[in-house]
Amino acid sequence: MKEFQHGEKIKTASGNTVEIIEKLGEGGQGIVYKVKYGEEEFALKWYFGKKLHDIESFYSNIENNIKQGSLSEIFLWPLELTEKRDGSFGYLMKLRPKNYKDFSQFLLAKVHFEDISALINAAVSIIKGFRALHNRGYSYQDLNDGNFFADPKTGDVLICDNDNVSPYGENLGIIGKCRYMAPEVVTGSKAPDCHTDRFSLAVILYMLLFLNHPLEGKRTMCPCLTEELERKYYGTEPVFVWDPYDDSNRPVRGVHVNEIRLWKLYPDFVRKAFEKAFSAELLTGADTEHRIIEKEWLEIFTALRDITVKHSCGSDTFYNADSENCVCINCGQEIAKPMILNVPKHKVVLAKGTKLYTCHTDGNSENDEITAEVVASINDSAVLGLKNCGENEWTAQLPNGVTRTFTKGQTVKLGKGIKIDFGKVKAEIE
Amino acid sequence: MGIYDDVVEVTRRTMVLFFVVDTSGSMNGAKIGTVNSAIEEIVPELKEISEENADAQIKIASLSFSTGAKWINEPISAENFRWNYLSANGVTDLGKAFAELNDKLSRNAYMGDIAGSFAPVIFLMSDGEPTDNYMDNLEELRKNNWFKKAIKVAVAIGKDANKRVLAEFTGCDEAVISVHTPDALRKWIQFVSVTASQIGSRSANAGTINTKGGTSLTGGKINLTKQDEFIREIKAQEAADAAEWDSFDDDGIEW
Repeated sequence: MKEFQHGEKIKTASGNTVEIIEKLGEGGQGIVYKVKYGEEEFALKWYFGKKLHDIESFYSNIENNIKQGSLSEIFLWPLELTEKRDGSFGYLMKLRPKNYKDFSQFLLAKVHFEDISALINAAVSIIKGFRALHNRGYSYQDLNDGNFFADPKTGDVLICDNDNVSPYGENLGIIGKCRYMAPEVVTGSKAPDCHTDRFSLAVILYMLLFLNHPLEGKRTMCPCLTEELERKYYGTEPVFVWDPYDDSNRPVRGVHVNEIRLWKLYPDFVRKAFEKAFSAELLTGADTEHRIIEKEWLEIFTALRDITVKHSCGSDTFYNADSENCVCINCGQEIAKPMILNVPKHKVVLAKGTKLYTCHTDGNSENDEITAEVVASINDSAVLGLKNCGENEWTAQLPNGVTRTFTKGQTVKLGKGIKIDFGKVKAEIE
Repeated sequence: MGIYDDVVEVTRRTMVLFFVVDTSGSMNGAKIGTVNSAIEEIVPELKEISEENADAQIKIASLSFSTGAKWINEPISAENFRWNYLSANGVTDLGKAFAELNDKLSRNAYMGDIAGSFAPVIFLMSDGEPTDNYMDNLEELRKNNWFKKAIKVAVAIGKDANKRVLAEFTGCDEAVISVHTPDALRKWIQFVSVTASQIGSRSANAGTINTKGGTSLTGGKINLTKQDEFIREIKAQEAADAAEWDSFDDDGIEW
């Protein structure tokens, strides 16, 4: 098919016209253009018609997805279809802002997250997006390093290629890459669904944190990775590089450099989660339909965010509230014991900038809204306070025995022993 | 600043694209000129594919054959590769080229990257008939495991090219593309270089081709190999070309 040229006009399914501005990029399935639609600019993904195995069902699936509407802001969701033309068609979606970089650029170390907080935010965003999708009965089917983007400063994420998204039990005939597909998809014994999505999600999360592939180690070091070997390493006989019961596929010094250095810097509960996600049982065993679900990942990354603080060396580090002396993962210096907010299920390290969410103050696992933030006093930056950013009125019991209420916008000066009643949840500062 | 300051790029395998170019006397003039300029033009695109690919980096090696065979360069990363113009004279010692390939398609030679490689892409361009006894060397080359797994493709330039020999090299007729005009030659060199590199440098296919209606998946393995996928691409492109040429007044240059 010929590429569209600048100025060429295409009709949408609703009879409007979009005008090609320029080509933005090309992938396996088609070409993405920047187009003008009314006064606004959008992205148009135009398929290589010959690559769609069943153009009608593909078209109607996207039509359904458009009717359904975006499940989360994180998705660059199809907004409108075009007319069919020359044996193909396209759909419109929002343009990706320039500050969002391809995930592969992070993997290739060309782009870095500004700090660990941004990285955790990226992980949380992806998990939330998948949760929204799965909760509505949909699955993504082909998550890989090519279909999402992140802002290195904030960790905000956008996921594209939502055209494959389809309801549970349906499948449009996805061909993905072995490296990101669940073993049962690689072996051909199953079509992609939400359970296989969860494998892909675990791979992406691992790669986000450790910048190596979780199934590539000593065992997969071979001179020529043939397609047969790929099916073996990612399909029939995958072994997690840090499998506690099988050390046959450990990372190799000088080759798998990042994960060797980074793995041990993360808290135990994070490592345990990945050990479970890539255990033989959840990889290829009897339990591939009970992989770690998004809600569980969300709890893990929330807990990680709760203990992430900026050390005086300028780097983010993790504070282990249960350890006697805790050192900075970047500079190795001991960290002075910070104040910690104790609520049921969570221990949050309090430092300037720390945010509390509904999961902390309302006991609501939705974890969406920020309800409080730690701020420093203008007069003395060493004096910290907790600012009420939510709608609920708080009751704080101060060390002098006085009880006061704090409404939205008001700040409780923090100190050890203070008790705060957030309404549904009671907290104590230790 | 922090623990991610010193991260290195994710461990990538290597995928070598071999250009094997006939530089015998009959290629002299417009043919070799077109080959030179087509490859020169496509290098930036190969560089881009390599730079954006977290599965593998692309390296390029080039071998020319006429009277004897000569390596122009060993595998060089696409980022650093520059095409040096070839000139053409001499006979067509295709067998010598096969012997050179067999020699270098080895872990101890060109395929020794520590992180490992994907199977290579071997792209042969020729306009004539071998003048040496190529058969024995081809037999040897066919026993080479790297060669067996490679994506193999050939472009037959003009009407004198021996397509049967090229098909013996690629293993099938479909991977031999005939071109008769400079325009087609340029287009196919670029199409093959890009498409074969994209397919070759990517983790293998997994998934299901299609289950209409969605509920009837039968657990059949897909065996769409990279070579198959590449041939499908060639066919799709040929079909698109044919459609275009239906309405094309063919007064192009004939070789």
